[in-house]
Amino acid sequence: MIKIGDEESSIEYFPSTEELPAVISNILEENEEVVVSIKSDISDLKYGEDTLVLTNKRVLIVRDNNIIRNIPLKEIESVEVNRYVGSLVLKAKTESGIKSLISYTRTRAKYFEKIIMLINDLTLNQIPYYIVRKHLKEQVEEINKKNSKRKILARMISFAKPFWHLMVATLALMMFSTIIGLLPPYLMKILIDQVLVPQKNFHLLMYIVLGLLSINLTLTILGVINGYLSLKLNQSLTYRIRKILFEKLQRLSLAFYDKYSTGSLISRIVDDVNRVQTFLTQSLGLIIIDITTIAFIGVILFSLSSWLSLIALIPIPVSYIGTTIYRKFSRRYYHRLWRKWSYVITVLTENITSNIVVKTFGKEKDMFKKFTRSLTEFIGMNFSVFKFEQKFWPAIGFSFTISSLLIWWIGGLKVLSGELSLGSLTAFTSYMWRFYQPINRLVNNLRVLQRATISGERIFEIIDADLEVKDEDDAQDFEFKGHIEYKKVWFTYDGIYYALRNVNLKVKPGEHIGIVGPSGSGKSTLVKLLLRLYEPQRGDILIDGVKINKIKLEAIKRQVAIVMQNPRLFSASIAENISLGKENVTLEEIITAAKAAKAHDFIMKLPEAYDTHVGLNGSRLSGGERQRIAIAAAILKNPKILILDEPTSALDAITEEEVTEAIDNLTRGRTTFIIAHRLSTLRNVDKIIVMDRGGIVEEGTHEELMKKDGLYKKLYESQFKGFLKQQKKVEEIVAK
Amino acid sequence: MQSRFVRETMTSIEEWIKQLRILDPKRVRVYEAFVDTVNMEINGKIYCNVKPRRPFPYTHPEYIIFFAEDDTELGILTDYRKLDRMSRKRLERVLKIIYYIPQIKRIIKLDTTKSRYEWEIETDKGVVVIKTWSRCTRWLPNGKLLIYDVDGNVYIVEDISKLDPKSRAYLDIVA
Ligand SMILES: Nc1ncnc2c1ncn2[C@@H]1O[C@H](COP(=O)(O)OP(=O)(O)OP(=O)(O)O)[C@@H](O)[C@H]1O
Ligand SMILES: [Mg+2]
Repeated sequence: MIKIGDEESSIEYFPSTEELPAVISNILEENEEVVVSIKSDISDLKYGEDTLVLTNKRVLIVRDNNIIRNIPLKEIESVEVNRYVGSLVLKAKTESGIKSLISYTRTRAKYFEKIIMLINDLTLNQIPYYIVRKHLKEQVEEINKKNSKRKILARMISFAKPFWHLMVATLALMMFSTIIGLLPPYLMKILIDQVLVPQKNFHLLMYIVLGLLSINLTLTILGVINGYLSLKLNQSLTYRIRKILFEKLQRLSLAFYDKYSTGSLISRIVDDVNRVQTFLTQSLGLIIIDITTIAFIGVILFSLSSWLSLIALIPIPVSYIGTTIYRKFSRRYYHRLWRKWSYVITVLTENITSNIVVKTFGKEKDMFKKFTRSLTEFIGMNFSVFKFEQKFWPAIGFSFTISSLLIWWIGGLKVLSGELSLGSLTAFTSYMWRFYQPINRLVNNLRVLQRATISGERIFEIIDADLEVKDEDDAQDFEFKGHIEYKKVWFTYDGIYYALRNVNLKVKPGEHIGIVGPSGSGKSTLVKLLLRLYEPQRGDILIDGVKINKIKLEAIKRQVAIVMQNPRLFSASIAENISLGKENVTLEEIITAAKAAKAHDFIMKLPEAYDTHVGLNGSRLSGGERQRIAIAAAILKNPKILILDEPTSALDAITEEEVTEAIDNLTRGRTTFIIAHRLSTLRNVDKIIVMDRGGIVEEGTHEELMKKDGLYKKLYESQFKGFLKQQKKVEEIVAK
Repeated sequence: MQSRFVRETMTSIEEWIKQLRILDPKRVRVYEAFVDTVNMEINGKIYCNVKPRRPFPYTHPEYIIFFAEDDTELGILTDYRKLDRMSRKRLERVLKIIYYIPQIKRIIKLDTTKSRYEWEIETDKGVVVIKTWSRCTRWLPNGKLLIYDVDGNVYIVEDISKLDPKSRAYLDIVA
């Protein structure tokens, strides 16, 4: 019934019985409803189609109209995916062990992700079916609304709505110019037939010359006015679209940014907006005008001579077929050309950005060879494109020449026999060329339309993205005391792997929590959720008893500060970066914060001191320096809740000691999370939680955890052993 | 875990600020200026070879921090212009060499045809020819404009609106 995605019918929600494998309908029980059916593209180790059918009671796998798996949802604990080189395998964890369900290629992975979440919601997360159903129905409707091509065109045009008067004005001007532009050949006809050939009517000669002059003048003036109006329309339109996009981008959550690369977002804002803008301001008008012109001139041509008109039509199918073939082949050629060029660029960027690698491994010569080879290949390709082009255009041009020669021949005969006036023949040939022009342009502009629709689609993908972090209407703003609670929180970035699994945690105001655990265990994720950078799929996070999605984002941003693992700085001065956390800071506050974060000394050693520009993303500073500037900014913010994600990881031991002291000062009386790999950083915390694979596995003070003989003790001992080893080495060296 | 008792109150920035040594300009005196150091008296005590530094050289050039020979911080002067006339003059001599930032008064010529732009500029320190990359400017929040040359020297335009129209037209090309 309902189809999603470009791969037609690979996934169907609430399908009707005809759309399902026949076996399914036979075994459906009463009250059993098919939620979704999805087709894989691998079956029995080859390309093929297995179907997964999810009902509200079980998961079924169908191959060649046989049910090969039939597992009640009640028996499933959860489903998960194993990713391999060319394939993914979906598995179900059941009471009787893990069972493989279905395999598919990466092409289908994005569709299966949705199914996996769905099954996990029904099994692992124990969400009642009626809630899942309601949610799903809403989503499906939403997607259906967005997916129509014709709607995209209408929506694109709606961008120009505030400027409709400009659009109408330019269109009217263009139309008017075109019509006036059609007059001269007709005046020429009169000139030849009534003045030149009969050699009389001299007053008419003067009128016609004056007429031609005024037409020319009018066209020039209209051209200038039109140019100005178009530019204005152009600029207002791009401004509007880019503004809409940028505003939307700022409201989107980090989850959105994880999905799209920076490059692709920038290309949408720059290239796609340009394409849509060009289409709306130029091509759209031209399409309308060209269609009218073609009709108009067509009528004139036929009224001048219907015989000649038929001959004039000959080259049109020839050139249409020609360009179609041309496009088919040229795409291959140009694609190859583009690939060669992008290879040149790749070699170049690689060499510049990874220059340190090239240098340290002494690979300069190899890189040089690679570069010159890529250039030679690109040049070679350019020549083959040229050769190819030379085969086509002359041939098509020739068909036009032939038809115009035919017209001179037949038309000439008719003039000689007195059937046609000389003026009509000249008018005819000059109208004929004006007839071809809009046809060619129309074909081109229809292609622009096609491309603009694709760009429009990409723009609307951003505008319609619902990964937005929004304030609810009844969101509150209040001063935090610092009480925090995580209640059964589940979170996944990609819909497959849960980075947090059923996290429960209570923190009292002013309490200091240390978080430790292996890399990838979800420590950073845990704290990011508190800032509402992402929203958990299940469960609640509360600050002072209020769910965080009911707290104004602004209130959270103001009272919670985070020092990230790899802090990014703004491309601005050090002073500006430190004062990000507070408005109207005094110079003394900036200096004090920097001193507390042990940044003042290194800043004062820079010639431009606090006015030093940090470069793009802070690239002109070292990791440890960036970290200390971020800490200074957090100190200035004076937050109620403070999050430090490995605040000292990039520092040497002495500076770490100093910064830890600064942090102790800073965190006094504030609810604080400190994530640390070096357990020594955590000596002053009230409680340590130990995370492993998305869950909290141990909790307690250092002493309590050491008694437990669990993961914490292991982590501690491995670090301590390393330390002892080092100490031994130092002693050996000293002994010598 | 032993520190729970000290954590009763939040320390905020206001408390820490009190630890800064802000100097009273009436109790600071500069006696002698060498090329880049001064001999001076702070709160009745004499210090030799003191290094004055501007923490905000562009945005708040009046703000000075004094460092002793061994780099310990002696104190902060929030506006050195409040010193007595002679002290101020001596200090300025030193600052003028430490912060050698010519002020651009006029742009005589700007050649953008090469990859390194060539400028002929009139500054408060004389006329010079400099070379810059095409991206060489930085706007300060207070509306001043910095120009960096290829060697890292800095030139400043204090107030664009006071430049003559031709100089401004040249600046429009790069900034
Ligand atoms: N932006 C993201 N998109 C997709 N997956 C992510 C993203 N960030 C983290 N993950 C995944 O989530 C899991 C938890 O990551 P997280 O950053 O919370 O780990 P961590 O405990 O902080 O590790 P580390 O000690 O290395 O910082 C990891 O498996 C990681 O690969
Ligand atoms: Mg982390």
